[in-house]
Amino acid sequence: MLNTTARWALALPLCILALSACGDGGEAEGPGEVNIFSARHYASDDAVYAAFTEATGIAVNVIEADGDLLIERVRTDAERSPADVIITVDAGRLYRAAEAGLFQPAGIDDALEAIPASLHHSDDLWFGFATRARVIAYAKARVDPAEIQTYQDLADPRFAGRVCVRSSNNVYNQSLLAALIERLGPEAAEAWARGVMENMARPPQGGDIDQIRAVAAGDCDVALVNHYYWARIARSDNPADRAVAEATALIFPSQQSGGTHVNVSGAGLAVGAPNADNAREFLRFLLSEEAQRAFAELTNEFPAVPDTAYDNALLEELDGFEADRLPVNTLGENAAEAQRIFDRVGWQ
Amino acid sequence: MAVADIHDEVAGPSRTRGGFAPLWGAIAVAGICAAPLIAVAVVAMFGPWTDYLTHIAGTRLPAWLVNTALVGAIAAAVAGTGGAAAAWLVARYAFFGRSSFEWLLALPLAMPAYAAAYAWYDLTQAAGPLAGIVPTVRGPLGAGLIFGFTLYPYVYLLAREAFAAQSSEAYDAARTLGCGPLEAFRRAALPMARPAIAAGLALVMMESLADFGAVVHLGAPTLSVGIVRAWAGEGSVADAARLALVLVSLAFLVFFLERLQRRRARQSAASGRKRPARRVALSPARSALAAAFLLLPLLAGLVIPLARLGWLAIHAPLARDLASALWHSLLLAGLSGTIAAVLGLTAAYALRTGRVAAVVAARLAGLGYAVPGAVAAVGVLALFGWLQDGFDALWDGPFPVLLTGGIAGLLFAYQSRFAAAAIGPAESALARITPTLDGAARTLGARPLDLALKVHWPLVRPGALLAGLLVFVEVLKELPATMILRPFNFDTLAVTAHNYASDERLGSAALPALLIALAALGPMVWIARQMTRAERLVREARG
Repeated sequence: MLNTTARWALALPLCILALSACGDGGEAEGPGEVNIFSARHYASDDAVYAAFTEATGIAVNVIEADGDLLIERVRTDAERSPADVIITVDAGRLYRAAEAGLFQPAGIDDALEAIPASLHHSDDLWFGFATRARVIAYAKARVDPAEIQTYQDLADPRFAGRVCVRSSNNVYNQSLLAALIERLGPEAAEAWARGVMENMARPPQGGDIDQIRAVAAGDCDVALVNHYYWARIARSDNPADRAVAEATALIFPSQQSGGTHVNVSGAGLAVGAPNADNAREFLRFLLSEEAQRAFAELTNEFPAVPDTAYDNALLEELDGFEADRLPVNTLGENAAEAQRIFDRVGWQ
Repeated sequence: MAVADIHDEVAGPSRTRGGFAPLWGAIAVAGICAAPLIAVAVVAMFGPWTDYLTHIAGTRLPAWLVNTALVGAIAAAVAGTGGAAAAWLVARYAFFGRSSFEWLLALPLAMPAYAAAYAWYDLTQAAGPLAGIVPTVRGPLGAGLIFGFTLYPYVYLLAREAFAAQSSEAYDAARTLGCGPLEAFRRAALPMARPAIAAGLALVMMESLADFGAVVHLGAPTLSVGIVRAWAGEGSVADAARLALVLVSLAFLVFFLERLQRRRARQSAASGRKRPARRVALSPARSALAAAFLLLPLLAGLVIPLARLGWLAIHAPLARDLASALWHSLLLAGLSGTIAAVLGLTAAYALRTGRVAAVVAARLAGLGYAVPGAVAAVGVLALFGWLQDGFDALWDGPFPVLLTGGIAGLLFAYQSRFAAAAIGPAESALARITPTLDGAARTLGARPLDLALKVHWPLVRPGALLAGLLVFVEVLKELPATMILRPFNFDTLAVTAHNYASDERLGSAALPALLIALAALGPMVWIARQMTRAERLVREARG
């Protein structure tokens, strides 16, 4: 035992050195690769990476981590960072990364012309390549969809004890409130948050799908959710999931008043990108028909490029709503204010 | 009481002077472990100040603190009573299934608390299969129970060792003097195992305080949620670091209370293994009762959440690249566990010298455990940034080596995070070696190194193994540091499970979570067997 231990003690530092050399190998820049830091973890992305490699021969290296951690790592590594492309699922995070100086203009204006102006940063620091709508799921049996037209209705006393919603730690809630701050002003946005808080059927808990299940089970009548969670259970192989989706339906709020709130999955060129040309090519590829189709078909996200043809009947049914054309960068600008409002009204 | 006082004097700080005491090496080890925490403190001190903390103090902070206290107290109560009772049953009684329970009971530790929380919530929420039968597992009570049932093995493992090593004389004497079994347990057996139980409880509490995933999902936001909120919502790493220091202070309080316990109970150190107790055979009816009681934590902490996840997995697409994730997990956990066992022992030796510098350094190293993973990762990142700047200055230009994105950086982060888990058991093991033993060996001419290798090592080996095992399992489950520091295309099981779960695809998260449990199972069984075998040999040798 003793000898084994002694041998281990000698071998370990060598192993570690050898392994860290391997680990650092990922940063060795060859002509044929692109390093992606992504806060997304979807099958659609793997499909897009594979398609990109097939089309261009450029190998894709990926690190997936939650948005804030990703930003922090790129910031720490500064000019040494191996990052070529940074991807996150929320405009607020993209805004923060831009504020931290992590992006440089990609110079792909021609490609960006394909998407609405509201979906990209005014200085071309980043752009949204797919969108997700924050919508209201309701119980078909207990709610007349005519009853509820706007986000503001959720704060109406009519819905006292009937609203399910997840915690305000969730970035989707923060971005929705950030949009309302822009549309209604901070006071009205705070009154809205307070109203929703007072209407809650239960303290915030679980994720978006859990809110839809609670609606189906009768714990509450309406819930704030992202559209693709509902689409996912509606397209599920599991009969129990499909039953939940059948008992509920989605309302795309504020069609007559500014449009439904959308957030983006977005990407930008990292400031010190060692493989900048490959990164540009990848960023263009995100807006290609192939990639846009993949997001719609595999992740149920709306393509950023309008009129993209895709094979997803359910999503097609949901598509065609009026989206809020608020520049998504605003969501980041108002994010801290939104968080404070949630804190003040006690939305946990 | 007088006897205990004398022991205290004998076992005081000067007890190992001239013994094996690698003071400076240990201080260096402890310093390295504490570095990220110090980095967090530096960020807190020198980062920009906003009015965020006053805003928080006036709004959410009271609720977070109340939840933190509730969750910690419930977790401690469940893990403390359950873990100690289970350890007592297994160590002192013979009943049907005992030898299986002996190692089975350690397994819920393999279950990440957030995965158990997801599974239990899914089972008991409105539309879940247990809705109406079991109240929804949510809020501080739900979170506390989840932590209690997944973390009690810390208490169980440490207490079982303590009970098994205890001489039965005091307990037998108490019984002879007319105490009932419970009374004798409370008055004679429990006080001697108290340091071990307290060490286990400290781990349980620190881990529940630092958790983020489970408390958010169950709607019981604690201070660690506030820390992440300061960072994610406000974009202020400095304010997050400041709130993290508040949490660390709470952990320090837990630590302090534990030390107090240990000091009060120091007589256990001198009791030695004079005559290990013989296990009392239970009647069939009582056997069944004991087995039923021991089944409870196993079901709640492991079997039921795993079964739910497994059921969901059947209906879900397979997670990708599981084989390489498994290999990466085992590699990181194996290396970390081995290093931690060495570091834990070194720190424990330094503590044994009683010198102030060593004690302070080791305690700081231990505190790293209470820093929420995300913040600890930020501390590590900040530290690497400064180191890199230092290299640049020396190099006179950008230094090529990058500390992030390598396995060395990850291993470093793991040590800083989990050193406490290794120091505790190593310290308990070392506490069993009495100063008289050192003295005797020295008198017989043993040099310090001989003393350490030939006398101490056989005695501390179970403790060192336990330390390594605990860290192995911790690293298997660890998330934030792995997510942020790992190299490209390098996923672990925990990262894979988290990625799916955070996107609400519990089914696809299930299989990697299952693999974490299975990966922890193997070494756990092996070590539990080793430890019981060693115990049996001692028993047989002593007749």
